[in-house]
Amino acid sequence: MKKMYLASAAALALSASGALADGHINHVFAVGEGDFNWDSYNAYAEAFDLAGETVTITGPWTGADAELVNSVLDYFESATGAVVEYSGSDSFEQDIVIATQADSAPNVAVFPQPGLIADLASRGELTPMSEETADWIRENYAAGESWVSLATAAGPDGEEALYGFFYKVDVKSLVWYSPEAFDEAGYDIPETMEDLIALSEQIVADGETPWCIGLGSGAATGWPATDWVEDIMLRTQDPSVYDQWVANEIGFDDPAVVNAIEVFGSFARNNDWVNGGSEAVASTDFRDSPAGLFTFPAECYMHRQASFIPTFFPEDADSDFFYFPAFAGEDLGSPVLGAGTAFGITQDSAGAQALIAFLQTPIAHEVWMAQSGFLTPHSGVNSDLFASDTLRQMNDILLGATTFRFDASDLMPSEIGQGIFWSGMVDYVGGEDAASVAGRIQDRWSEIQ
Amino acid sequence: MDNIAGQKSSLSLVTNIAVLLIVIAWLIPTVGLFVSSFRDRDQIAASGWWVAPFSVELTYRTRADATPTEQGNLFVIEGNIFESEEVRESFEDGESSIAAYGLRGREPGAFEAGTEAENRDGGTIQVNADGSYVYTSPEPIDGAPRVYFVAETPPQFTLDNYRTVLTADNMDRAFINTLTVTIPATIIPILIAAFAAYALAWMDFPGRGLLIATVVGLLVVPLQLALVPLLNLHNQLGIGQSFVGIWLAHTGFGLPLAIYLLRNYMVGLPRDIIESAKVDGATDFQIFTKIILPLSFPALASFAIFQFLWTWNDLLVAKVFLPSAGDAAVMTVKIADDLLGSRGGDWGILATAAFVSIAVPLLVFFTMQRYLVRGLLAGSVK
Amino acid sequence: MSPVIQGIITIIIGVGGCVGYFYFANLFIDKVLFPARGVNAGRNINRANMIRPWIFLFPAMFALGLYLMYPVVGSFFRSLYDRSGDEFVGLGNYARLFNNPDFRQAFLNNILWALVVPAGATFLGLVIAQLTDRLRWGNIAKSLVFMPMAISFVGASLIWRFVYAQDGDIGIINAIRFYFGAEEGIDPLQIPFWNNFLLMIILIWIQTGFAMVILSAALRGIPEETVEAAIIDGANPFQVFFKIKVPQIMGTIVVVWTTITILVLKVFDIVYTMTGGNFGTEILPSFMMDFMFRDDGQATAVAFVIMLVVLPVMVWNIAQARKEMR
Repeated sequence: MKKMYLASAAALALSASGALADGHINHVFAVGEGDFNWDSYNAYAEAFDLAGETVTITGPWTGADAELVNSVLDYFESATGAVVEYSGSDSFEQDIVIATQADSAPNVAVFPQPGLIADLASRGELTPMSEETADWIRENYAAGESWVSLATAAGPDGEEALYGFFYKVDVKSLVWYSPEAFDEAGYDIPETMEDLIALSEQIVADGETPWCIGLGSGAATGWPATDWVEDIMLRTQDPSVYDQWVANEIGFDDPAVVNAIEVFGSFARNNDWVNGGSEAVASTDFRDSPAGLFTFPAECYMHRQASFIPTFFPEDADSDFFYFPAFAGEDLGSPVLGAGTAFGITQDSAGAQALIAFLQTPIAHEVWMAQSGFLTPHSGVNSDLFASDTLRQMNDILLGATTFRFDASDLMPSEIGQGIFWSGMVDYVGGEDAASVAGRIQDRWSEIQ
Repeated sequence: MDNIAGQKSSLSLVTNIAVLLIVIAWLIPTVGLFVSSFRDRDQIAASGWWVAPFSVELTYRTRADATPTEQGNLFVIEGNIFESEEVRESFEDGESSIAAYGLRGREPGAFEAGTEAENRDGGTIQVNADGSYVYTSPEPIDGAPRVYFVAETPPQFTLDNYRTVLTADNMDRAFINTLTVTIPATIIPILIAAFAAYALAWMDFPGRGLLIATVVGLLVVPLQLALVPLLNLHNQLGIGQSFVGIWLAHTGFGLPLAIYLLRNYMVGLPRDIIESAKVDGATDFQIFTKIILPLSFPALASFAIFQFLWTWNDLLVAKVFLPSAGDAAVMTVKIADDLLGSRGGDWGILATAAFVSIAVPLLVFFTMQRYLVRGLLAGSVK
Repeated sequence: MSPVIQGIITIIIGVGGCVGYFYFANLFIDKVLFPARGVNAGRNINRANMIRPWIFLFPAMFALGLYLMYPVVGSFFRSLYDRSGDEFVGLGNYARLFNNPDFRQAFLNNILWALVVPAGATFLGLVIAQLTDRLRWGNIAKSLVFMPMAISFVGASLIWRFVYAQDGDIGIINAIRFYFGAEEGIDPLQIPFWNNFLLMIILIWIQTGFAMVILSAALRGIPEETVEAAIIDGANPFQVFFKIKVPQIMGTIVVVWTTITILVLKVFDIVYTMTGGNFGTEILPSFMMDFMFRDDGQATAVAFVIMLVVLPVMVWNIAQARKEMR
């Protein structure tokens, strides 16, 4: 332990010349204490010395999340002596495109959408990562190959390479509820989709409303519906069909997709099933909609949304979640829909390379997961460190998935996945026919190919 | 005018009322925002801003968590609901009264306050209007039982939203940055436009009509179109993302409207004043600085206000032409990217942010307005 | 160096540079290039006067050329190429736009906006300017009506959500409906067709202040004698207003109208934040945002359609300018 201390002290001393580093590093968990993988930290600290280097990073994390990522980066600073400047922006996707055009890109950017990585890689704005890094992911991440292929894109010369390193994952196949409301009403957690539908009918029979669904999100209105459709695709079709859908090898107007949209409609377009009726689905802000779970009397009993949503729950809300179940009749295992953020190198430097190497140490994952909402496919981390049982259960859902698929709308071309797919779902909820919505989306897709 | 005095007074009453109604209609939305900026997220969702100053009936959930005692063959919990752990904070000021209570979330107000009801343990419960309650059970009670109640709650206002917005990291820096962007971005285009407008209004030269038409045509260029090419241009010139860049951008984007408005105003100035000055041997530069500028003061002041408001509230141009890193951010960027991102959907914060950013423009308007009116009156003496 | 001082210095340099240019450029032609003395005095004055307009115009023309003309011309060529910018497609992007039903909808909505908003804002602005003209608390009333001008478009959208929200505890419209016994909340922004007008109200609410300030200045500029003469002739206040005052400030009304029309064609924020263009409320500027950074070919094509819509206003203004030159 003494040795470790010395190592970090040495690193501190080295970085003291960087003025800023001095006194600024205040680790959330003292080095050497607790069940963290400190060995990995010390080994890393010995291998890298970047005194005097500055690494700039931008990403989508702001507010509390920005503090959390900074708390992780503190360890990178103390280990290497480099100075890290992180700045987060809510409109990161737009900012990074502008920054690369302005040649003012940071060293490293954190991408919430693989589509954007592919986009920038094809324009030559990203530096490819080494084959060793890709091999490392294959070996150390659960379902490693899929994480590699998600972040692999064609460069400006058409050469395929790894351009992103996934770090921090969200699980989307979750249904949130209030345990006390379930308890008082005597409802059980459904194990299958059939049970879930039966439970919804039961709640209606009791004179209550089962679901809260809100698609509102300003200019991005409609995106929560795309998650629904994707989740249902995974529960009604083979994963390979899902992949074909993402790649547009089957049309968006394929019966499989239209069916998934209609299953979603059987929830969202059923005035008895959703709080406020289907008109409210399209207009309620997705951040406001779960509030109905926690009113007395409850306005609804269930809310399907990703792992980040508790941030928007009212204070002191008692909440829990269960896995959005699969159809027992379909025999498709337990598929999980997820998303994640990937680090990409936008301005190559020794510091940027070292940061990617740092993300491979378990400690980079453990520091965040021990504090708050953070899931990781890294198999080398100590899962005892999760901040709460809730998180551990979510990670278990992630690790227990027989199929894991990335959010399809994030993988589609942005005009589809972050454009007409969103607005098409709003039109569908508003009463348009599923086949006609899907047909329009496919027309647009054919047009841009 | 005195011959229609009677008519005039009734008319002026109508005028007063009409203006009052218009002003109220105009204010209602803003008042809603203002009131909401003093309420927290949960309050905004629970009741409309128009009832914020009044007591409202809200539903609460808590536990009868006083210590149980054994009285005869009954187990009894006695206490005051307002002092129970889960709701204590909401009732620190006192002065609330309970209207109804219930045992299930589905019917939180099933029983009127002061009446006795059966509970699920086989005993009884009674909650009184003052919050005192008695809960009995024939069996030992394990865990504090749930109680829901509907209580008259006094209005609550909070300054937390303002604290959050004003004390956000670097907010002071962002304020200064905004001023650094806005002031030159207001003055420079006015200066340039005033000269150009004078030339277009009162100087004779070939191609004048074409130039005027071009200016009008350029009015409609959508900003978004120009952003990326100009950013590339700035990079080639070595300006990059900087304050100089954003001044130039605002100047360019604000000029067409400035020239158009000022030219139209200057054209309307009395011809004889200018011509007699010319006859007296004044040069165009002298006419411009000594006669046109003072006479155009109202128009200049109006445009200054518009341009100031525009640059102050601008988000798009600032995002493109200023670096996205922390210490160059202006207030709008700070609020949109940093505050709203992490607290998206928090209407209280949104409302407060809108009010904080409106404060300075309003101050400017009210101070400028005195000059504006004075300028207007001077202008009317033709 | 503290940022405040830095800011002040940059402000002084920026503004000072500008003033300096005009002052010294004039000094230069008057005293150095064409001094108005000696044998050539008369000729020099004429020459100086020929050059002077261009001195006055140069900074404006330079800035306009660089910041608006150059991107416009560049964008026009861009709109003739496909999404990647490699292949020349002629008017292909335009043809595709007009085949797109969403675009046609946005186009029609936009024309509606360009007609309704300027008319509404100018009319209300004129009425308020007239009503407050002789009022003792007129300035206060005007300030309050002007206030929305100071609010950013995004802030304004937020304000109006407190009016339109479907939840009767947030939106005032539904609160009133509930008060009168309505059972279910409605979302006003999902009422087909009419929702466009509800969004227009927001922009009218903002722009009326602008119209009012300018028109109120114009009203004050009307010579008292004409009004008094009409009153002595027995004209009632409505006749005075419509027959005497309005014709005299017609020029200003047109300027205000034009300015607001042009603004309407550029504002995307309100639709973008209120409905995201859903429920049939898309307008061209927000439609264009869907293509920005994705398919610049079509995005720029939309921009030119917007400029086309304003063509009639432009033509009219040129005609006006010609008339004034006489």
